[in-house]
Amino acid sequence: MELIIQVLVSGLLIGGVYALISVGLNLIFGVVRIINFAHGEVLMLAMYAAFWLNKLFGMDPYVSALLVLPALFLFGVLLQRVIVQPIQEASANMQIFATVALSLILQNLALIFWKGDFRTVQTSYAMSTLEVMNIIISVPRLIAFLVALASILLLYGFLKHTFLGKALRAIVEDNTVARLMGIKVDRLYLLAFGLGAAFTALGGILLIPFSSVYPMVGGPFTLIAFIVVVLGGLGSMSGTFLGGLFIGVVESFGGTYVSPALKEAIYFGIFILVLLVRPQGLFGKGKGTEEIGLK
Amino acid sequence: MSAKRLQLLGGVLFAAIIAVPAFVESRFILHMVTLIFFYIAMTSAWNIPVFGGKMSLGHAAFFGLGGYTGAILYVKFGVSPWIGAAAGVAVSLLGGVVMTLPLLRLRGPFFTLASIAFAEVLRMIAIDWRSLTNGSVGLNIPFKPGWANLTFQSGKPFYFLSLILAVAVVFVAYRLRHSALGFHLRASASNDEAAQALGVDTRRAHFIALLWSSGLTGLIGVFYVFFIYVVEPSTMFSLTLFSLQPALNGIIGGIGTIWGPVIGAIVMTPFGEYLRFYLGTIQQGLNYVVYGVVLILTVNFIPGGIVSLVRPKRSNRSDGSGSSSDTKEAR
Amino acid sequence: MPLLQVKNLTKRFGGLKAVNNVSFDIQAGEIVGLIGPNGAGKTTLFNLISGILHPEEGHIILDGQPLNQLSPPRRSLAGLGRTFQVVRPFAMTVLENVMVPLLARDPHMDKARDSAMQMLALLRLEHLADAQPDSLTLAQRKRIEVARALATRPKLLMLDEVLAGLNPTEISENLPIIRQVHEQGVTIFIIEHLMDALMAVSQRVLVMELGALIASGTPQEVTSNECVIKAYLGEETPTC
Repeated sequence: MELIIQVLVSGLLIGGVYALISVGLNLIFGVVRIINFAHGEVLMLAMYAAFWLNKLFGMDPYVSALLVLPALFLFGVLLQRVIVQPIQEASANMQIFATVALSLILQNLALIFWKGDFRTVQTSYAMSTLEVMNIIISVPRLIAFLVALASILLLYGFLKHTFLGKALRAIVEDNTVARLMGIKVDRLYLLAFGLGAAFTALGGILLIPFSSVYPMVGGPFTLIAFIVVVLGGLGSMSGTFLGGLFIGVVESFGGTYVSPALKEAIYFGIFILVLLVRPQGLFGKGKGTEEIGLK
Repeated sequence: MSAKRLQLLGGVLFAAIIAVPAFVESRFILHMVTLIFFYIAMTSAWNIPVFGGKMSLGHAAFFGLGGYTGAILYVKFGVSPWIGAAAGVAVSLLGGVVMTLPLLRLRGPFFTLASIAFAEVLRMIAIDWRSLTNGSVGLNIPFKPGWANLTFQSGKPFYFLSLILAVAVVFVAYRLRHSALGFHLRASASNDEAAQALGVDTRRAHFIALLWSSGLTGLIGVFYVFFIYVVEPSTMFSLTLFSLQPALNGIIGGIGTIWGPVIGAIVMTPFGEYLRFYLGTIQQGLNYVVYGVVLILTVNFIPGGIVSLVRPKRSNRSDGSGSSSDTKEAR
Repeated sequence: MPLLQVKNLTKRFGGLKAVNNVSFDIQAGEIVGLIGPNGAGKTTLFNLISGILHPEEGHIILDGQPLNQLSPPRRSLAGLGRTFQVVRPFAMTVLENVMVPLLARDPHMDKARDSAMQMLALLRLEHLADAQPDSLTLAQRKRIEVARALATRPKLLMLDEVLAGLNPTEISENLPIIRQVHEQGVTIFIIEHLMDALMAVSQRVLVMELGALIASGTPQEVTSNECVIKAYLGEETPTC
């Protein structure tokens, strides 16, 4: 019983980070309507940035967020402007090609510049734990969960209550109408992509104290984020949050009771199962699912 | 150029291709041309579902299933590769069913994503299932030359075998595209809702197209394994080699057309090998950076591929790229 | 027995009832018009009947066969043809466009080509057989849309604004085609914003407002119906 709770807790904690990364993807996909296959590479870059800031200047990874997040926000804006905008009206297949190419480029640039080694950041708190009722909780993982939760709530508030947030939601609802209402759609695309990248980068910062970075680290995260978006429903922050937790828990149980090597096989299995049993997504409301094609 | 002249040119070219091994002794050139034939076959097989706008980036799955089946049967059980080829097709068809049935619910990009995941899962299984696949080391095909073993001293038999494969797959793709199925796929790619309202069971059409594609890819996989004497998970299920490469060939040549994949494979195979051997040895990964850049430039400047430059107004219009079954135009 | 029976059909989008408890019949051989202000639920009703959307409640029966459980292609095979308000012909030649529905019924290529040619002749499009649709005028593309739907040999043909957006000359070219199709024995259910045109072809008119059917009758009866006038003048809740 204790083991089960232990596994559940660690699943929930990592699930929070998955949720954060997926929220980033959901924002980009919902607003810009582009499938960004290079999503995980943004995470990879953030992790490397935190690693190097620590290695070269001894900066604490959490502190490095102050530099890394704005940098990757700008990087996201740049991607939107340079790579995505020219193909905004092209077919989905062309967009896939472009972002897959981007992911290939970023992965291999990382390989060229930083080699294929697994790199980790050493911190004083990496190994520290809390014990609550015989359940051991890793401190950096707990921090990751709490920060992820807080930032998702912050984004939720931003989308709900600010003018810019409302404009973003209007675009998610109906792009054309939003444009007709005088919303500067192209600029908001830049904002959405930047924000999405920054949230994903934050995921990377939160991961680095307890996981290593290498050029191909992003791939599985792209997959996870997409699965979470499908599970949670397009444009739904709460659905995405629950979807992230769900995948975290499943991974945790699968890794403990089946085989850590088959993690991705397990996500994929769930993904297919959900498609068969509940094609509108686990928490989906129906609207986004039609967009994805899960009618 | 008139149709007659084009036919004549094609005939001369084809005769020259058949005559090459009689005059060329260079193993390097034979190997390269054989590789081109393999990629023509692979890209054309990959391209069949693209008639209907379904783009897979997980075809390494079928390639690997076929290759592994052939190799395991031969190495572990002494079954002739010719029978292994049939078994390989059967297994990759099965893989096609498993992947396709649930995935057909998905619209364009999500289908593509899930196809990547499918190949990745198979790669992990191939690594994990050591008793059958010998894990990440893989299986070597013992060198026992002879037609029965599909193993040869000379490079010439595979030159012709791969040529036959390429011609056969292109022929199948051509026939499919000009059949009722081809019409259904093209209709679905440009307006799926309308196609359904006209009585086209588009899901069934996509399913059949993917079965053709997966079966043919599996067959090619079997022959390829005997061509390179080895199966290992990182090669057979490689995202870059056998999932992205056919797609890349396709888009450079022109996706959703008959000749696009052929032209794409002819252009990109030597280019890719050059990059791999020269750039790849200077700096690991550099060749893929170049690939990525080429891909982005193509998408931006010639989305219809090379065939669209040659024949600007024909067949390149009805490819999957103009599809509205995707998120973009559905808005 | 009526050709089409629609019983208590309801479709909700969130809290909104886009189609609210709608029932009506269409007899074989009729031309029935469907009118109503924007957002009244006309196209939603078409989408429910053709199977693109699924109703929460109600039944749709074509020629005695319940359609509710059938997929859109099966409904087409059962004899239901439709056009779409936004015409997007397939990216292939005009002839090939018309061959698509024929090939869905019989994969024989030559036969399909011959029948498609005949269909194009009927709609006076044969000279455009080899043209790409995106090089054609809207009126011509709308006719391709009709030709395609007609090639399914429907018992009931549902036309969604096939005249909207056309200039008067084009309307006077396309209008007789509807009559001609009807004379061939096809029952027609037609949505149209252009009142004059609709009233000219319809034998009977249904009126929708806010998802509900508010009136039904001959064109004369409907145009003199107070509810209908109120609905069109934009009264919030027509009291009838």
